[in-house]
Amino acid sequence: MNLTPEQKTIGRRNFLKALVGTPALAALDATAATKRPPSGGPVKAALIGSGDQGRLLLGQCRKEFIDLRALCDINPNRLARATSVLAKNGYSKPRHYENWKEMLKKEDLEAVLVATPLWTHSDIAVGCLEAGKHVLCEKMMAWDIPAAQRMLAVAEKNKRVLEIGYQRFYNPMYQAAYENIILPGLLGDVHFARLVWHRNGSWRRTEDPPPQLDPRPWGYPDWDHLLNWRMYRQYSGGLLAELGSHQVAVANWFFNSQPSSVYATGGIYQYKDGREVNDHVYATYTYPLGQTAIFTSIQSNKFDHYSEQFMGTKGTLILRGETEAFLFNEEDSRSTSVEVSKQTSKPVIDASESLKADAAGHAASTATGEKVDRAAAYGLEIAGFCSVIRSGASLRCGPERALKSATACILANDSAAKKVVLAIAS
Amino acid sequence: MRTFNRRQFLSLAPAATRPPSGYWVHVAREAMACRFQVTLPATEPRGIAGASFALDEIDRLEAQLTVYRDDSELSEINRNAAEVPVTVERGLFELLSLCAQLHWETEGAFDITAGPLIRCWGFFSRQGRIPDSAELESARRWVGMSEVSLEAENHSVRFARAGVEINLGSIGKGFALDRASAKLREHGLRTALLSGGRSSVVALGGELGGWLVGVRHPHKAGGRIATIRLKNAAMATSGSGEQYFVAGGRRYGHILDPRSGVPARGVAGATVVASSGAIADALATAFFVGGAELAKRYCRDHPEVLAFLVPEGPMDQPQVFGSHRGAAIEAIPIDHQLKTGHL
Repeated sequence: MNLTPEQKTIGRRNFLKALVGTPALAALDATAATKRPPSGGPVKAALIGSGDQGRLLLGQCRKEFIDLRALCDINPNRLARATSVLAKNGYSKPRHYENWKEMLKKEDLEAVLVATPLWTHSDIAVGCLEAGKHVLCEKMMAWDIPAAQRMLAVAEKNKRVLEIGYQRFYNPMYQAAYENIILPGLLGDVHFARLVWHRNGSWRRTEDPPPQLDPRPWGYPDWDHLLNWRMYRQYSGGLLAELGSHQVAVANWFFNSQPSSVYATGGIYQYKDGREVNDHVYATYTYPLGQTAIFTSIQSNKFDHYSEQFMGTKGTLILRGETEAFLFNEEDSRSTSVEVSKQTSKPVIDASESLKADAAGHAASTATGEKVDRAAAYGLEIAGFCSVIRSGASLRCGPERALKSATACILANDSAAKKVVLAIAS
Repeated sequence: MRTFNRRQFLSLAPAATRPPSGYWVHVAREAMACRFQVTLPATEPRGIAGASFALDEIDRLEAQLTVYRDDSELSEINRNAAEVPVTVERGLFELLSLCAQLHWETEGAFDITAGPLIRCWGFFSRQGRIPDSAELESARRWVGMSEVSLEAENHSVRFARAGVEINLGSIGKGFALDRASAKLREHGLRTALLSGGRSSVVALGGELGGWLVGVRHPHKAGGRIATIRLKNAAMATSGSGEQYFVAGGRRYGHILDPRSGVPARGVAGATVVASSGAIADALATAFFVGGAELAKRYCRDHPEVLAFLVPEGPMDQPQVFGSHRGAAIEAIPIDHQLKTGHL
């Protein structure tokens, strides 16, 4: 999906125009969308898994919502880095743990953030829930369907909050698109969604192991299997789990449905470096009411970047890179133009004598070009999670939706492996 | 809302206002050979619909007031009023009456009958030329509001002789904005900024201490000489920095002094705040023609009119006359502009 600058300008204006007169437009400023801290004070919490994703979460923690008091990781280097991230947010030094079970015993915690490799999600989340903690677990929910179902059941049994880290549900741009474009039917009948996540890179990480770390007791035969766990089938669901499940969750949300079948293909075509998960994935999801979503994720070309695109009889909605939204109407009337601009302290218009060029239509306004802050959605996710713990309100994503997305992605991997169409039970 | 007098001009600091947040929605349409635009807070649910009704009104007025269409009511007046009284729609009659009043109040500096002079100078066709004196003298016979009789009883217009014509180019945009603003109010909208081209502005309501409007520097392209906060007030700007021709090393601007028949001189830009767009439009032209002396006299005799004149000399300070309760000027003094490179 690539748009000319002119198309981007028109599409951005159209998107904002569709939000005119609604609170959603104001909420596009993530700062404005942040609710007040919950009554009852900050939630006492810890993080398990302080890799890139864990540190991204820590960077968005705010003291008035969450009292982050302990960190757990088997890698001491990462604990040190995570601690400095927290310090930048004004937190005092958290206590460090290597073993999450020990941390649960010793710490006074209400909630746990889980950002560990996929295969451990279920055991850790279930352990925390059984210990009475609320859990915000990174996506994908679990490595296989039974493990994800177990998480949901244990959360319900223990009456604890379980949220899964699909931050798009907390991104005001997605909320605005859903409430003001999808729900009112601005796109007309939507039969097709294109889910695109294209990169040009190996996805492989390089980092020196800490000298004292022996990964074997933790289930990894060597440092590479720990560092690059995403490459190995026993730990990872590959591109579908790490990327696709985000976008399938959005398609399910906007279609208000879940796929009834999937057919996927793919393979290791570019990086024959010992990895076990496909570096190219193509999955076709069929929904019961005649909708189709096609997810493509390739690691040999980044021209298309990443986006979710919804094609309807009246218009096309494109949500790109979690930061930009574009709306294109199938038939655009140009006689009356509507633009939206951000209010600033500068003059709304500049007056002068009438100009010869006025007939050409001087725009006194400039459509807003600012993007939504992608990382801020994680902050809203954490704040929302803490607010739900205090208020008992419902979650924006929640484990039921997460389970449906996980199911669809796990079965897509199975479909690609078996080369068959698989039905998805609702 | 602060007002402002000449002495205060250089000492004014920008008004303290809280920073705005949120979005504007701008609804726009081409009309009267320029872009008409309604700006509203994006949180206004009826904004786009109301603005569309307001712009419809402007379309309707253009069809009525233009001299560029043979079937407009104004064209009918110009075609027939020398022979018979032409009865016109009430709103148009009221506008013509206002034009007559403003003509007398501005000592003839505002004149909707100057068309024959403008034609002599080639400004209608945008091919400027210096007319010879016989041509000018001949054209001047058709110019002046004494050539136009307005009969209030039956809303009729009559010209004293053939060759007289009316052109509403120097008041039509402001008048259209007034009517559009009334349409917005009918639709329950209380906060909007309306503009016709860059030269005419009408502020309905005014959030955050008033709508902030910039005034372009007449000498410096892209520069701003002042900002004005407007609340329930209209503003217009007149100048000839854009539309002029040069002949024999001399510059001839497109705004003529209808009394002498030659291009007005002495003022680079005239900005007027008044209570209606029509009056602001007309006075901006009149003060551009009549200069500081006329502006001073007029503002002394008429309350609620603010004039901001930028003289032709690039180093001359702007002059301010009168005041308006809905306007506060936050000027950018010339020495400050030089220091900060604002120009």
